Amino acid sequence: MIKALASAIVLLSAVLNLALAQADNRQLTLTGSSTIAPLAMEIAKRYESQHPDVRIDVQMGGSSRGINDTRMGLADIGMVSRPLKSTEQDLTPFQIAMDGIGIILHKSNAVTALSDAQIIDIYTGKINNWQKLGAADLPITVVNKAEGRSTLELFLHYFSLKNSQIKAQVVIGENQQGIKTVAGNPGAIGYVSIGTAEYEQALGTPIKLLPMAGQVATVASVAQGAYPLSRQLNLVVKAKPEGLVKNFINFAQSAEVKDLIVAQFFVAPFSNSIKSGVAGE
Amino acid sequence: MAERIFSWLIMVCALLVVAALLWVLSDVVLQGAAHFSWQFLFDAPTDAGRGGGIAPILVSTLWLLLIALTVALPLGLGVAIWLSEFASSNSRFANSTGITLDILAGVPSIVYGLFGNAFFSIYLGLGFSLLSGGLTLACMILPVFVRTCEVGLRTVSNDWRRGALALGMTRSTAIWHILLPAARPAIVAGLILSIGRATAETAALLFTSGYVDRMPGSLLDSGRALAVHIYDLAMNVTGGDGAAYASALVLVTLIIVLNTLAQSLVDSWFKRRLVLA
Repeated sequence: MIKALASAIVLLSAVLNLALAQADNRQLTLTGSSTIAPLAMEIAKRYESQHPDVRIDVQMGGSSRGINDTRMGLADIGMVSRPLKSTEQDLTPFQIAMDGIGIILHKSNAVTALSDAQIIDIYTGKINNWQKLGAADLPITVVNKAEGRSTLELFLHYFSLKNSQIKAQVVIGENQQGIKTVAGNPGAIGYVSIGTAEYEQALGTPIKLLPMAGQVATVASVAQGAYPLSRQLNLVVKAKPEGLVKNFINFAQSAEVKDLIVAQFFVAPFSNSIKSGVAGE
Repeated sequence: MAERIFSWLIMVCALLVVAALLWVLSDVVLQGAAHFSWQFLFDAPTDAGRGGGIAPILVSTLWLLLIALTVALPLGLGVAIWLSEFASSNSRFANSTGITLDILAGVPSIVYGLFGNAFFSIYLGLGFSLLSGGLTLACMILPVFVRTCEVGLRTVSNDWRRGALALGMTRSTAIWHILLPAARPAIVAGLILSIGRATAETAALLFTSGYVDRMPGSLLDSGRALAVHIYDLAMNVTGGDGAAYASALVLVTLIIVLNTLAQSLVDSWFKRRLVLA
């Protein structure tokens, strides 16, 4: 009985596969990083609208899954939100965007720069007053991101911290929320996506972005690759891209999708390309 | 005095639970209503889900649920009947089946997701599709459904079985016309638990039915479930919280509607039969 059922399913799926196979060359599958997935989906939708015969499925599951699926041929293109490691040189990366985060303080704070060690001390609770850093006598309000946010991962990774070590007074979800919290609290320190922060700063919100390791925190600096607290958002492929794969990657790297990259609060990886043009919500 | 403190404590427990439930519900309703409109139900999502609606996602969710229930209900009811009526109570096989079901009921759903991905998506070649998602959900809800129905059937008094026997009823007639209708409350409970679990599932579906938010054209298309959509909006999409709350409101409403529907359906179906019998 169970055997018959199983073979029925196998037979059915074989038939269905055959039906699907005919459309295969006009279909693309992308899997990988959940950070890139929403952006890739938007790019895919725009590509589909220009090429109605093409179907692009975007699946998520993390960068390492993207690499695995691409290697095994389960996906045509993998999405990886970091540079490829030395063990992953069998794949070819194509960068489509950058993600940078900036440390923000209230505009009235006299501190103009913090070293990595000072930021670690603040976030682990060893320094809890701005006086120790040469500013006014004001307790520090540490603003951290909620679990699951990609900016949190990047922040923890850069400073080699664990989330359990961080002693935060405020835990926030969105970039906008972080900016509002810091703007309304002269003693607060937080970190948000640079695109969002620059946009808010230009609107006159009382925040300031701190330079990291001597590099100014601007979208342009992230785009040039100079700013350290940033990461690449890559599409990876196994073989030399051809046909549809090649066309789609070219499209994802072209100027036609810049507004989509900006709308997802990422940075297009070319200098002068978008400057401070962050789309409003 | 001790008696009074005891009853007071019990009352506080009940209040706490009700308050927590009301808090969650009112949060979802208040925040969700701000972003909700009727158009939200009929539009496709735009701008990574921040704009537009959830029409394709709602359709995918209903397909997933339909597949899961179509597979799990007959199979589950069959196993429950076998366990309670046919297997002898001290048989090794029946015991180990029972224990296996209990263990399976406690397995985290992400494990079902990985199994579904490995078996349905890759081994059977169904890929990321509504079919592999629905079948994975069926595997996931089976143990709970079987156990609830089995317990329901067992609690039916043996007098009913003897009565049926005395009237010369065959075993199948007795089960169909006497025992199943008598176990109705348990079957309804099992159904409601299953629907709730399947509709609210994220982890098992992420790797089986997938992430694509296009309107599904066939059961072999990938389709995003509501819970996956909410997860994505809340975790990956900056500025997606409004749409996430509105989707959560739809999800809660959907579960309530489906449960009411299931209850009345099972009720009317069995009531008619009891009268006939």
